[in-house]
Amino acid sequence: MGWPGHRLAITLFVTVIVAWIAVMAVLMRRSSLPADATGPMLAVFEPGTPADDIFAKLTFAGAKPVRQTAFGFIWVVAGDEPGLAGRLAAQGAIGTYRELPLNPSIAGCFALADAKITEYTGL
Amino acid sequence: MTMERIEKQIPWYFTPAVVIVAGCLVAIVNFGVRSSFGLFTAPISEAHAWPREIFSFGLALQNLLWGIATPVAGALADRYGAARVIMIGAIVYAIGTCLMAIADTPIIFHLSAGIMVGIGIAMSSFGIVMAALGRIVPPDRRSWAFGMATASGSLGQFIFAPLGAALITAYGWQHALMILGVSSLLIVLFAVPLLVQNTSSTKLTKGEADITMRQAIGGAFGHRSYVMLVSGFFVCGFQLAFITVHLPPYLAEHGISKEFAGLAMGAIGLFNVVGSYTSGIIGGKFQKRFPLSVIYVLRSLSILGFIMFPITTTTTLIFTATMGFLWLSTVPLTMGLVTVMFGTRYMATLYGFVFLSHQIGSFFGVWLGGRLYDMYGNYDVVWWLSIALGLFAALVHLPIKEVRAAKFAVA
Repeated sequence: MGWPGHRLAITLFVTVIVAWIAVMAVLMRRSSLPADATGPMLAVFEPGTPADDIFAKLTFAGAKPVRQTAFGFIWVVAGDEPGLAGRLAAQGAIGTYRELPLNPSIAGCFALADAKITEYTGL
Repeated sequence: MTMERIEKQIPWYFTPAVVIVAGCLVAIVNFGVRSSFGLFTAPISEAHAWPREIFSFGLALQNLLWGIATPVAGALADRYGAARVIMIGAIVYAIGTCLMAIADTPIIFHLSAGIMVGIGIAMSSFGIVMAALGRIVPPDRRSWAFGMATASGSLGQFIFAPLGAALITAYGWQHALMILGVSSLLIVLFAVPLLVQNTSSTKLTKGEADITMRQAIGGAFGHRSYVMLVSGFFVCGFQLAFITVHLPPYLAEHGISKEFAGLAMGAIGLFNVVGSYTSGIIGGKFQKRFPLSVIYVLRSLSILGFIMFPITTTTTLIFTATMGFLWLSTVPLTMGLVTVMFGTRYMATLYGFVFLSHQIGSFFGVWLGGRLYDMYGNYDVVWWLSIALGLFAALVHLPIKEVRAAKFAVA
């Protein structure tokens, strides 16, 4: 009788991680903000966007930059005028989300996964 | 009868690959759900206007019960089969977690989050899973299987914390707890393939002496190598609990941002998966006490290096990655040694006592960390204590005899 080995371990771990990313993307979608939302939020831009460009886009959208996360394309911002989420989207943010009670950088990565799934699958 | 014919007679859900995967899924959910509980500290305390102490006491009680109930759960698993114990444990775990969401008095919260969840975790923990796998897989694959189960538990910790946070944001804390509680019922389903494993009441493994559980426990505690293993695992619990609870404030004191500290703690989880799995492989190829000693030496060196150099984001990341790699890598080797010394018949019970020592160490790691900080105004003494304990553990594992204990072998 053949006993399983490393291939089984890799298959299991990869499958679990892929399922996890998918579930996290769905949950991030539930947490994404409607266009009229305002208040504290995570703004996710396309990775590789220069920090100066992002700063300018945030300013144009009327968002107050609170802090940049460890990943430069994810920012924690705030605002008090309705429609901030919509204005950020108009400035090129690929998603705006309520700040999760975990590291914003990690939250931003899942938000990016959600945005990419939407972009590539249209779901 | 050929192997192919034997294989054909086994239902697909009892084949080795399915049983191992099932055990790993149990470990992922069991370890994962509890790892998200810390996220509920603020919402639950604020919702009931409770001081933080009520939530903290509930989780402290949970850890204590987890430790105390593990040998009992192990004994039940050895007597009645791991799968049945895991299934009942999962139900208790699920009810306890759901009750946490609706508990509106401290007593009910402590009963649910502390006692019920603690017992539920113990009954469905990876210690019980490993005992089941240990009986199913042949000796030469055992260490690898233990490594895989431990790595799965680590993976559960890694993936469930963000999942819990996302659930809170998407559905609110009460529904999030309910969802987590219900998801722990998946353990019942995942445990079905483990029903294939035998128990102490069914048959003896070749070379094992026919002794009662009471004789086994007495014999183990009269065996010098087991006592050494138990004392060594105390150190593991001490170091891990101290770092888990006190590293974030230590980093904050040294100017590391809360956000980076979160990422660094995440690195522990990620490297823990790799370390646990690697340790399982190493344990299958070499004598287990040597890598176990090396792990404790490396932990001491890693802590020494961390506190001797200026604390920066780079040194923090190096430290957490290294400690992550060494985090639960002690588990497959420790479980492996229990199996080598005493066989598989009472392994869940005997590992349960080793794990109890780990939890007592955890208690002291958390408590002394705070107590000595209050006395000296810094963590230096506890860091040095961790280094000294690591060296003690490295030394105490070296004389362990990796042979079947006399009372547990047929003459």
